[in-house]
Amino acid sequence: MPGKSHSGQKLAGEKKFMKAEKEITKIIVISSEKVLPVDAAMKIYESEFPVTVKETCFGLIVTGPETDVLQVTEEIRQLDKNHIFVKDRGFPAGDERRCRAVRGGGPRPGFHFLREEVKMLPAIGEALDELERKGPPEELKKQKSRLKVSELERIIETELAR
Amino acid sequence: MSSDELETVKIALVSCGSEYAGVQPEFEAAAKQVNAKFIYPEVDVDLIDNIGKEFGLEVASGDLKLMMARARAVVEGLSHVDGVFITTCFRCAEAAIVRNEVRRYIHRHSNIPVISYSFTERTSAGTLLTRLEALTTVARRRHLLAREAQTGLTAGIDSGSTTTKAVVMKDNKIIGSGWVPTTKVLESAEDAYSQALKEAKVTRKEVQALGTTGYGRFLVGKHFKAQLVQEEITVNSKGAVYLADTQKGPATVIDIGGMDNKAISVEDGIPGMFTMGGICAGASGRFFEMISKRLGVDITELGTLAVKGMQENVTMNSYCIVFGIQSLVNSLAKGASPEDVAAAACYSVIEQLFEQQLQEVDVKEPLILVGGSSLIEGVPKALGDLLKIDVIVPRESHLIGAVGAALLASGYVEE
Amino acid sequence: MLKVFIYPVNSLILADLVERFGHKPLVVMNQVREKVTNISLDSPPVNITPEDPKIGLRFAAVEVPAGVRGRMSLIGPLIEEAEAAIIVENPPVNFGCVGCNRTNELMKYLVRSKEIPILEVKYPESNFEAREFVYNISVFLENLSKASGEKKLDPQSGNAEEFKGEAAEEKKGKVKLEKKNDSLREEIP
Repeated sequence: MPGKSHSGQKLAGEKKFMKAEKEITKIIVISSEKVLPVDAAMKIYESEFPVTVKETCFGLIVTGPETDVLQVTEEIRQLDKNHIFVKDRGFPAGDERRCRAVRGGGPRPGFHFLREEVKMLPAIGEALDELERKGPPEELKKQKSRLKVSELERIIETELAR
Repeated sequence: MSSDELETVKIALVSCGSEYAGVQPEFEAAAKQVNAKFIYPEVDVDLIDNIGKEFGLEVASGDLKLMMARARAVVEGLSHVDGVFITTCFRCAEAAIVRNEVRRYIHRHSNIPVISYSFTERTSAGTLLTRLEALTTVARRRHLLAREAQTGLTAGIDSGSTTTKAVVMKDNKIIGSGWVPTTKVLESAEDAYSQALKEAKVTRKEVQALGTTGYGRFLVGKHFKAQLVQEEITVNSKGAVYLADTQKGPATVIDIGGMDNKAISVEDGIPGMFTMGGICAGASGRFFEMISKRLGVDITELGTLAVKGMQENVTMNSYCIVFGIQSLVNSLAKGASPEDVAAAACYSVIEQLFEQQLQEVDVKEPLILVGGSSLIEGVPKALGDLLKIDVIVPRESHLIGAVGAALLASGYVEE
Repeated sequence: MLKVFIYPVNSLILADLVERFGHKPLVVMNQVREKVTNISLDSPPVNITPEDPKIGLRFAAVEVPAGVRGRMSLIGPLIEEAEAAIIVENPPVNFGCVGCNRTNELMKYLVRSKEIPILEVKYPESNFEAREFVYNISVFLENLSKASGEKKLDPQSGNAEEFKGEAAEEKKGKVKLEKKNDSLREEIP
């Protein structure tokens, strides 16, 4: 059969692809004064990673093989690491089932919550900056362990006193 | 009527949980069959934050708040739709409150037809089809439903689950009728229609337009090349207000059929809210048939018997067609009179109708009782006693579907 | 690296912070992905079929509405997998898989019933609260790293007993963390 080898090959290829590279989608939300969504998108286009990029009002949606997507999102995050946020998305970029035009009117369910969270991102970004400025992690750890011991003593005492 | 002949109707899907209960594809399938498209009204997120206070109903679930916000978008015309389908999970109290209030709200503030339904994971497209068909008809054919008088020579066939009814009408009068038990759908339709034509002394060729309704409407409609094939919610509403001569203003139609029953809130002859019961035969004509057999009387005598009895004298522990009848038989064995048992049977059906159907419909007078069971005198009496209002049983109330179909079909008579 | 359940299960901020501080967020989006990219099913939009509410019977009885059980079929497995959890109180409006408050109550209950370290924080409403929020979460996540690192626990190894002991220890740690954060409050300008 003429089609056999072709389809067989394709199937084998797909299998290999599926096994090695699961497709995933990430939402990159950019809340940065330094980086615009378009800059981030350009960077991905230039990088020639085999991923699909869709610009949205919040940032980008990136779909592609898992390792590529993870690498791309990390690179984008590093453009302004405390002000660029990443989360997974169930649906691939541009999926019709979640498309406003196809669904008829209202946005997908996660949209409103995302919009609420986006409002909070400048404050979260600042908090991350602050956390960084507050000193090296060693100091934090030291502070933590010191408190941990004293608090633990106190807790043991209260627990035993019951 | 095949869906490709019809224009697409936009229905706002105002729901909670449907995407997560596995029923969304069933909804979509039912909508496709009646050429309807679900849309999800766009709302502003800030509106959702305050909707509880604005609407006056503060609930914890986000999707229920979204339902209220979407209902408001529909009422305010921010989202143009032809109908609204409100649906939430069965057994969720929070959702039931929202579902009912949102439905009332839309009904009060707009002319947009609304239906509501509570689903389980077992809800199928078939269950929703009649409801969505009624919804799209009201949206699509308001002009047809505005018809108040029958013109020309038309006929209607109501192919029900238990009986098949047919009428022939001429110049706003019933000139022939037929009534046969449903055995094979087409054969029974043939018989009933032939009876009606014979009584009317007209031939099939002379009939200018035919309408079909009931469970067998598609099959019968295709067989007789009917001009109108229409579900029974719309047809029976129209037929009821026509026969009761209450075509203007509000009315409530209760139809106790052979296998199921319907409660429809009607305004100017057009169905608004409605509910259909179809799970339990204990609230249907079948229950009366069985109890008549056990009492050894003809079903036509059951009503006369019932009005002489006192339902309070008989204890019934179940509405179930099996256990309920068992209760009645036990009462007979303990010495209850057949009159009391007949009265209890009527009361049982009405009480079940009240508990399961009338909770979702605003009962407004006049209250019109139709369907074969309305002829059992004990039934309208029990309904009147329970609701404390007068119940109208129009003439020919058992032919309601056939009359409604003949009336609406006259819209297809060439002027 | 521990698997951290987050509530709300679709939160960008929580998923990002968990990942940023070196752990794996257990997010519902990945469950949805499994569903929607499985081409053998076609039940749009989320591909939940009538079978899923039945799977949900593992987490809720049959008298619980189908929508709750369907949602639990997505979220329940995440709770089972969780090795730690962050629960945010009073999050802003939620829709979709977290649009049902009954489901949310049930999932939080199931998380709290597990012997795992849990951080419960309030959704921030100001810049100051955001700093507290981020700090609390960072400390919690760093402590998780330390705890799992010290004992060289492999969450995938299925060494449940040892890990349970560790988890119980961390549970106490949760109290410590909260206390510690109280004292920190004074330090934050």
